[in-house]
Amino acid sequence: MDGVLHQLALGFLHLLAPANALALVVGLVVGMLVAVLPGLTLVMGVVLALPFTYGMDVTPSIVLLTAMYLSGTYGGAFTSILFRIPGEPLDVPLLWDGYPMARQGHPAQALGWTLLAALLGGLITAISAVALAVPFARFALRFDSPEYFAIVLFGLTGVVALAGDSLAKAVVSLCIGLLLATVGVDSTYGADRFTFDVPMLKDGVEYLTVMVGAYGLGEVLARMEQGFATPPLDATQKVDTRLPRWREVRGLLPTIGRSSFIGILCGIVPGAGATVGSFVAYGAEAQYGRRREQLGTGIPEGIVAPQLASTATVGGHMVPLLALGIPGSGATAVILGAFLLHGVQPGPQIFQTSGDMVYTIFASMFAAVMGMCLLGYFAIRPLIWVLRLPEAVTSAFVALFCFVGAYSARNSVTDLWMIVIFGIVGYFFEKMRFPIAPMVLGCILGPVAESSFMTSMIAYSNDWAVFFTRPISGVVMALTILALAFPLVRHARRLVRAKRNPAFGAQMGSEARP
Amino acid sequence: MTRLREIVPYLALLAGAAFLYERTGAFAAFSRPGQLGPDAWPKAILALLAFVCVFEIARRAWSWRSATVEAKSEAATGEQAQRYPWLLAAGVAITVLYVPAISVLGFFLCTAIYLAAFMWIGRYRSIGVIAACSLIGSLAFVFVFMRIVYVSLPLGMGPFRTLSTGLLAVLGIH
Repeated sequence: MDGVLHQLALGFLHLLAPANALALVVGLVVGMLVAVLPGLTLVMGVVLALPFTYGMDVTPSIVLLTAMYLSGTYGGAFTSILFRIPGEPLDVPLLWDGYPMARQGHPAQALGWTLLAALLGGLITAISAVALAVPFARFALRFDSPEYFAIVLFGLTGVVALAGDSLAKAVVSLCIGLLLATVGVDSTYGADRFTFDVPMLKDGVEYLTVMVGAYGLGEVLARMEQGFATPPLDATQKVDTRLPRWREVRGLLPTIGRSSFIGILCGIVPGAGATVGSFVAYGAEAQYGRRREQLGTGIPEGIVAPQLASTATVGGHMVPLLALGIPGSGATAVILGAFLLHGVQPGPQIFQTSGDMVYTIFASMFAAVMGMCLLGYFAIRPLIWVLRLPEAVTSAFVALFCFVGAYSARNSVTDLWMIVIFGIVGYFFEKMRFPIAPMVLGCILGPVAESSFMTSMIAYSNDWAVFFTRPISGVVMALTILALAFPLVRHARRLVRAKRNPAFGAQMGSEARP
Repeated sequence: MTRLREIVPYLALLAGAAFLYERTGAFAAFSRPGQLGPDAWPKAILALLAFVCVFEIARRAWSWRSATVEAKSEAATGEQAQRYPWLLAAGVAITVLYVPAISVLGFFLCTAIYLAAFMWIGRYRSIGVIAACSLIGSLAFVFVFMRIVYVSLPLGMGPFRTLSTGLLAVLGIH
């Protein structure tokens, strides 16, 4: 424990280096801006920031993206509470109590509760990340290729299972991502796969172009089809924050405990990100909260629970990302991409090989939490100014960021074509309600999954049972099967209920769409 | 008709999976007999994809889950927002054109035109703001990416190259 605290203290010292400190501040401001803008999602923002990290060292790059990720879970609260516009899907539960509280004439109190929840969620998540990452990594040192394959498979299926209503669509999306990862020269045998004698396919498909195209350009095209109909907002409202008093906070301690636990758990489980955490915490409050009957009328519990849980997921996500190299969400997939772009492979060895970097990242999480709260308290008014910009203008720049981001990776016009192709693919995915996250994760984790699978098969003489007979991989494979079976069981139960109650059946279709 | 529309994407994916599965036979590699080759992993993924497609086609064709309910739900979602397919078509067209044009016109000019066209197609009509945003935005991108991030953005050909190099000289980028 002393060693961890010592390393963390060193991490704080490293964070004072100008490049790291600047990355932290820029990440906080940009993350907040991205979360405030309704058209720009948190993942898209992190993706668009990626090209700026090419010329940077790995530590400031990850500090920048992590700060964006953290402050992105908080910034959207302002537009939700003041304007009833959720900047992110994770901010939707804030509409149910935050906005009513503001409408009752207490916007400063509502923003104060949000700030407190973000502060507590952020500190709890940073502490949990520091406490859990090393034991996680020590445990992972026992892993051989079958365990790695099982873990990667669990990560992929977890994301698929929680990706939305249609398991089939999520599996299709995942398969497309995994197939894209196989294009080019195979790493085990050196064979050309799916290149069709096209030179640009020989180098394979860069996951960056898939990510930026499908998330960024795809979303822009989808909004263009709607005619960029979101009107610019009048952002001249008074935006003040009043922090709650201790006796007010004391009454909410059970809510804080419940939501912290839910947030961290949703962070560690692959796929269950900030949005799921936010909704589950609100749901738990509705079931077990002391004032559950008043939920939805503008009470602090309805603000604290979702905000705290969504911020608390960030640290939970960082644990499997750093200790195992498994991203559990879209944003952490991009952060993993940034690690790989800088030639760093996260995993159990990272604590030995790059301990300074890891603890600087942890230290940056503590600093980011404090920074985002200060920013939220003092500087949110100028940030909200961005809401006055017309959607067509911001979207044009988002499209441009996509192009420049993809081009900057290899200085190749080929990647621009890839962006256009995956932008159109992303648009059709949106249109046909196929989730994009499984495709992106498949593209990033595909090579790891394939190499650990092939290594296992070669080392264990094609014995498929090895994944199930070794204790750790067997347990993880069982969890994988459970993760896949859970949505099927849920779906079957819904069908049975729909048969018994036709009104529920009619409701099912509309509820099912996220 | 609704069911057919729902089935078509899965049919297309199934056909694609079958085609790619057939192509895996053409992977040239040396592997020991009895050892999995470079086609094993893609074949496993394609088999999974094909299975899911067949399952979904069967499910939707035989109305295991009520297709009408899903269709109504999708129609309801579609009604929420008005659609502008021509805007989308124009947006896609300028986006596709941007890629070949950037090698000819150079980054600055091509990007300024693209930004202006994008905003105009996006139904924004303030000429002054469009002109300012597209010119200042392109210039800012050139400065940040060529001066700070050191990315070699395309300069264009012929007279456009001269224009780009002149601009870089003005910005102090060598």
